[in-house]
Amino acid sequence: MSKKTISLLLSLVFIFSIALTGCGNKEESEAVKVGMATDSGTIDDKSFNEGTWKGIVRYSEENEGAIEVRYLQPEGEQHTNYINAINDLIDTGHKIIVTPGYKFETAVNEAAANNEDIYFILIDGTTHSEDSFDFVKHDNTVCVLFNEHEAGFLAGVTAALSTKTNKLGFIGGMEVPAVQKFGWGYQAGVHYANKTYGTNAEIIDYIYQGTFNDAAAGQTLAAGMYDKGADIIFHAAGGTGLGVFSEAKQRAEKGEEVYVIGVDIDQYETGKISTGESVTLTSAVKGIDLAAYNYIDAALNGTFPGGEIVTLGLKENAVGIPEENPNLSEDVINKLEEVKQEVIDGNLVIPSTQEELDEFLNN
Amino acid sequence: MKKISKYFTNEDYQKKIIPFLSVLLGFIMGALIMLFSGYNPLEAYSALLKGAGFYGSIKRFGDTLLNMTTLIFTGLSVAFAFRTGLFNIGAAGQMLMGGFIAVYIGIIFDLPRIIHLPFAVISAGLAGALWASIPGILKAKFKVHEVVTTIMMNWIAYWSVYYFVPNYIPGNFDTESAVIKESASLRTDWLSSLFKGSYVNLGLFLSIIAVIIIWWILEKTTFGYELKAVGFNPNSAEYAGMKVNRNIVFSMMISGTLAGLAGAVYYLGYTNNIKIGELPTQGFDGIAVALLGLNNPIGIVFSSFLFGFMNAGKLFMSASTEVPKELIEIIIAVIIFFAAANLMIKGFLSKINKVIYRKEGEKNV
Repeated sequence: MSKKTISLLLSLVFIFSIALTGCGNKEESEAVKVGMATDSGTIDDKSFNEGTWKGIVRYSEENEGAIEVRYLQPEGEQHTNYINAINDLIDTGHKIIVTPGYKFETAVNEAAANNEDIYFILIDGTTHSEDSFDFVKHDNTVCVLFNEHEAGFLAGVTAALSTKTNKLGFIGGMEVPAVQKFGWGYQAGVHYANKTYGTNAEIIDYIYQGTFNDAAAGQTLAAGMYDKGADIIFHAAGGTGLGVFSEAKQRAEKGEEVYVIGVDIDQYETGKISTGESVTLTSAVKGIDLAAYNYIDAALNGTFPGGEIVTLGLKENAVGIPEENPNLSEDVINKLEEVKQEVIDGNLVIPSTQEELDEFLNN
Repeated sequence: MKKISKYFTNEDYQKKIIPFLSVLLGFIMGALIMLFSGYNPLEAYSALLKGAGFYGSIKRFGDTLLNMTTLIFTGLSVAFAFRTGLFNIGAAGQMLMGGFIAVYIGIIFDLPRIIHLPFAVISAGLAGALWASIPGILKAKFKVHEVVTTIMMNWIAYWSVYYFVPNYIPGNFDTESAVIKESASLRTDWLSSLFKGSYVNLGLFLSIIAVIIIWWILEKTTFGYELKAVGFNPNSAEYAGMKVNRNIVFSMMISGTLAGLAGAVYYLGYTNNIKIGELPTQGFDGIAVALLGLNNPIGIVFSSFLFGFMNAGKLFMSASTEVPKELIEIIIAVIIFFAAANLMIKGFLSKINKVIYRKEGEKNV
């Protein structure tokens, strides 16, 4: 026999011997299994999926032994892919399913109806059937929405107050409600700052790239905007936005003064360059992790608000900008506090649709 | 003994067992990788098989067949082009265009099922053919290489659909179309209830019919012979009086038809609407399916079954064990690697044969 055959046979024997000994020591634990299925993009998208996952992991770390966590990345973005991923989690004993993203709406709607003993936490969407947009109530599902426009508004005010060239940019991912709301709020914020604080900023480019995972395209778009003289770009584009960071970092390394406003989670670390400074001016934060954390806790402690649509905003401290903003001046931070208070007190209503925005811009 | 030994020496027989050996080696490699990274391969593989419905759940087996349906079409599409000397990387784009037309017809028209469904499916095939004819014509007339043009056509399809869907057949969101009418859906109640709620659909039968037709064209008709001859050697085919340019366009169109039909079975069966911003991965998987299936219609049934069940089972595997699902991708890659490096396995086979042969010789002495 040749050496190859012998080695092949040996490895086979090896496999089976180890495999057999490996069986039979499965440990049964009391922990509740919590599963998450990711939206388009990967778990480390530095944004949406990562935020949700962080909340789940934080819960499992702070409450040791209470939950066992796992995430799956569906095979594609079709309803069938999502429903299969959810079923895979349910069939393997997961009792709480967390799904971030409006794309899960119809899949969760179907799964929630078929699995009444499973808790579903749908972030950024409401359950409805495939052929109608009407909300379908499930007692085992909580739908969490965010006032993204409020975070976008603060981003807009920040950008207008901080720009040196008076030129700003916006790069969105796909034209979906959450991203649009960030954008509308941003436009309104810039307008508000110009009116209230006498700034003279203008959004020169307002582009939806079309995907959430094309970093190369994000970088190209960002390069174009910076070349045109914009010094701050707000991105609401998940993985595509990572390209915006790459471009800004390259320019910052060469000494250019350009900034990015991050999205969903505090992206200060993402923007760090070799000097230890960051190109992240601030981030329009959405408390996705908080939502995941809170509703897992609620499900385990019997206070799960099943059947409800919960909307979280500035008032609930679930959207806004991070606590720490090393790149913002004292003056800007103070002004942001004023604006924030205005919104919380209800004196200032941020537009959340195109019509409301048009009206806002005309006043 | 002779019977077995011919698998080691005879070229034709060797060809047939190489894919099976590749699969086996792929799984062994996968098991080794799992062992070295501290996972239990037996547990993982049984989860994989369970997830694909080999035991436990008939619904999951339905999902395996569902995955397989689309892959048969894209595999056939790529293989048909291969056999006729063309490398169609554009199956994804042709599939997307076919799917778009099918969904468009499924939404806009209101017809009885017996007309609506065939209308949507056939139009999808035609759309795929039309889309593929462009690289075909460019190749025939101007010698533009089809690899370049089909890749470009993929992106043209991608962005066209991106524009068309929200403007002509908008759904609940800007990123997806409305849902097709029942009458245009390939899903049927009896199949779904047979498979306990899986979306396995009439497309499965269509794919089997397509396999038979393509096999018949390639092996039993003069037309197929001509196409293959052009693939083997365009110059001698021309010398023999065949119309090379016409045949190039025809085989691109047939390949495109198959990809377009893949779009029909995917968007009218696997899903029931079309989402933008996505180039269907099945189009690219088709290349691997065709390669492993030796570009043979019957071989493609086997290889798409393999890919289908691995796709159906891998998420379940990563949900029920600690093994990351990327490992399945590694196994698939290793299988394709071995299938592509078949010379290596051939050498290996003849070595085994020598060993066997020597022993027999000794006995006879």
